[in-house]
Amino acid sequence: MAELMERHHPVSKTKTLLIAPVVFMSVFFVAPVTNSILRYFRFSEFGNVLGNHSLRGVAWFSMWQALISTLFTLVIALPATWALSRFTFPGVRLVRGVLTAPFVLPAVVVAAGVLAITDSRGVVPVIWAHVVFNMSVILRIVGPRWAMVNLRLEHAAATLGARPSRTFSLVVWPQISDAVISAATLVFIFCFTSFGVIAILGGVSRRTLESEIFTQAVRLGNTETATALAVLQAVIICTVIFIARQSSRPNSTSLHVSAPQPLRTKPRHRNTPLLISVTAVVIVASPLLATIYRSLVVNNQFSFSAWRTIFSGSLPALSVSPQLVITTSLVFAIIAACICVPLALLVVTTSAPRALFSLPLAISAATLGIGLIITFNTSPYAWRSERWFIPVIHAVIALPLVIRALEPAVRAIPTSFRNASATLGASPIATWRHVELPLLKPALLRATGLSMAISLGEFGATSFLSRSGSTTLPIAIAQLLGRPGVATQQAGFALAALMVLVTVGVMSRA
Amino acid sequence: MKLTRILIVSFLVVITSACSSSSSNTSTDATPNEVTLLAYDAFTPQEGIFDAFTAATGAKVKVVTGGDTGTLISKAILTAGNPEGDVLWGLDNTLLSRAQKAELLTSYEPVDTGDICVNYDKQWFASRNIAPPKSLEDLANPTYKNLLVTQDPVASSPGLGFLLGTIAHFGADNWQGYWKSLKANGVHVSPDWTTAYTIDFSGSSGKGKYPLVVSYGSSPPAEVLYAEKPIDTPPTAVIESTCFRQTEYVGALKGTRNPNNAKLLISYLLDVPFQESMPLSLFVFPVNKNATLPDLFTKFAVTPKNPLTLDPADIEKNRDTWLNSWRDIIL
Repeated sequence: MAELMERHHPVSKTKTLLIAPVVFMSVFFVAPVTNSILRYFRFSEFGNVLGNHSLRGVAWFSMWQALISTLFTLVIALPATWALSRFTFPGVRLVRGVLTAPFVLPAVVVAAGVLAITDSRGVVPVIWAHVVFNMSVILRIVGPRWAMVNLRLEHAAATLGARPSRTFSLVVWPQISDAVISAATLVFIFCFTSFGVIAILGGVSRRTLESEIFTQAVRLGNTETATALAVLQAVIICTVIFIARQSSRPNSTSLHVSAPQPLRTKPRHRNTPLLISVTAVVIVASPLLATIYRSLVVNNQFSFSAWRTIFSGSLPALSVSPQLVITTSLVFAIIAACICVPLALLVVTTSAPRALFSLPLAISAATLGIGLIITFNTSPYAWRSERWFIPVIHAVIALPLVIRALEPAVRAIPTSFRNASATLGASPIATWRHVELPLLKPALLRATGLSMAISLGEFGATSFLSRSGSTTLPIAIAQLLGRPGVATQQAGFALAALMVLVTVGVMSRA
Repeated sequence: MKLTRILIVSFLVVITSACSSSSSNTSTDATPNEVTLLAYDAFTPQEGIFDAFTAATGAKVKVVTGGDTGTLISKAILTAGNPEGDVLWGLDNTLLSRAQKAELLTSYEPVDTGDICVNYDKQWFASRNIAPPKSLEDLANPTYKNLLVTQDPVASSPGLGFLLGTIAHFGADNWQGYWKSLKANGVHVSPDWTTAYTIDFSGSSGKGKYPLVVSYGSSPPAEVLYAEKPIDTPPTAVIESTCFRQTEYVGALKGTRNPNNAKLLISYLLDVPFQESMPLSLFVFPVNKNATLPDLFTKFAVTPKNPLTLDPADIEKNRDTWLNSWRDIIL
């Protein structure tokens, strides 16, 4: 794949452009994580962890529940992706918004919704919640790619007598497979490192490596055990990423299309895409509706009081007003997107070392959090309690995902376009602006939405950073739901419902 | 294209603003007329309560929060000697020894107390004509089968308090038997307070399946104060004999740049005005004998005369062993 990129972009100026993302990652990610691992990693403790029967069980459970969750997510999300990227029908944007919204929600909100419906704990509710959370990953990464698959090729195959299944496996799949594998890898990693969902829906006996890292580091104060577990988790995730990259390599062919296909308005089997969309919406939307329901109904009585509170009142359980929390979160999300999307674009259009930018996926939020507070602690780098530090860290966490969202679309632009443009006398910059950028626009918008969503929903690393007045939405929700008093909790659900609605709005436009 | 320009400009703006704000802020770190109070996320003091302190001393109070109590202590230990603030609020008797061992604090004093008690849903028991349980022993009685929800003591501080309460009551050699009978009687363990109280418990907003929950002695007044519609009496009550006493401490962090201001702030936190503001803002009881309690608390909160308690040193020495045997019994 690296050679592929070189072939596409042989210009040497890309080398200088690369400095920005590499420096950014080195300062805000590599340095703190290295610092934390150097200080707390002991080989002897790593040996103890590997030899511990119960910790091996934790690793095994993390693995198999993640595999099953990923399979279910694919089975439900891929048909929905097909329906949404190929067809248009009234409300298609709303459907996309609903399906992608849960990604930003705090685990307690989705878990409470699932629990309200299943009324029991165990592996099944966990998998359901994972499907709800990760639907958007498939939609956002595979969707733009699928939309670019040339419809004429499918028509040609059909005309030559191929059945839909054969058309899919021979024509469509080779063109989307690397996006699917990339998305499935991400889903696996998210489920593997699942923390809140497992804690609430799995019952106390179910633990993942990530939740055990938090327990060891934060509750028991065993930083060395936590670091050993974090290294083990990183090794497993890096292996998975490596295997996925290996298997997606042979399939990565350049697409033979010019621009996103216009969506067909009248499919032959009109009902199939509708039916698939409705099924997906029911699976995803029911926990979200439960959240909205709990913000509006208390003791079987309907009331808007919690909504009035979050927009105009104040809450004693929060140290700042709910309005300020909403503003803070939105500003952080915008700043994070402004940092993240340009950096991601630089990475995907140059020959950047991808492994560096995948690292945040592999590193536990606790390790990053510890690294940040022990690294940025002395002047002139005493940034650990600065307000701007939070969106910067959000950008670090979002970067690998935003890169993945952009990459398939960038790789899909054929070399011939660039060559033709150059032959006609356009400079590389002019080519980029007039040829490549317009083609990338839908993917860029989606990447911006994704980056904002990650920032809005980020909890792990943010909760580790100390804050003065800059409470974000997930933290405010956790605080409100963590206090007795019906009104306080209802306000927590109203904030969560607001997150649902805002995200559905943002995602249905992007 | 417009989009390129927007992206480039916004990127530059963010980077420059980040740089400029960092350079302007490094100096505030050591400002002499400021004192930083490090506290857990749930620290929500009454608005304007520090104005009197600033008026008297000239020092501004900056409240910095970061995580729950466990996170707070772990972070304080990791940053020992170069702390994130001057004064630390929120160490409790279950974690105090950890801070002592790490030599985090130059001085510390108890600042508030609270009790971890089993709460019950009054209506649930009244409508079934069942008397609510009266003791820890009752909870293992078949009459109350499948009614109690508690929290994982590893992850949750009320969960740990309840476990320690049972150890204080039954003794270090017999509590395991009690927990076996609790398990046989269908005790449900939730990961944290939020899940237990707002989702599983039947008496608050969640309308769950369990009418008995491990929570705080101050939960009933909170139900009145933050009711959705004004109510006269709380829908929940406390079983007094199950209460475990939790004491929170405030201390000056070692390595502070403002030892003087830290000392002043600690005495302000222990003084009557702040102590009297705590019940309704933080739902804890004052330690200052001269502080009076608000009506809501004298009416509905429970302050048991002889709460269960354990020595912090004992807790520190045995915590891991107890948690491990608890896990062996329950998981």
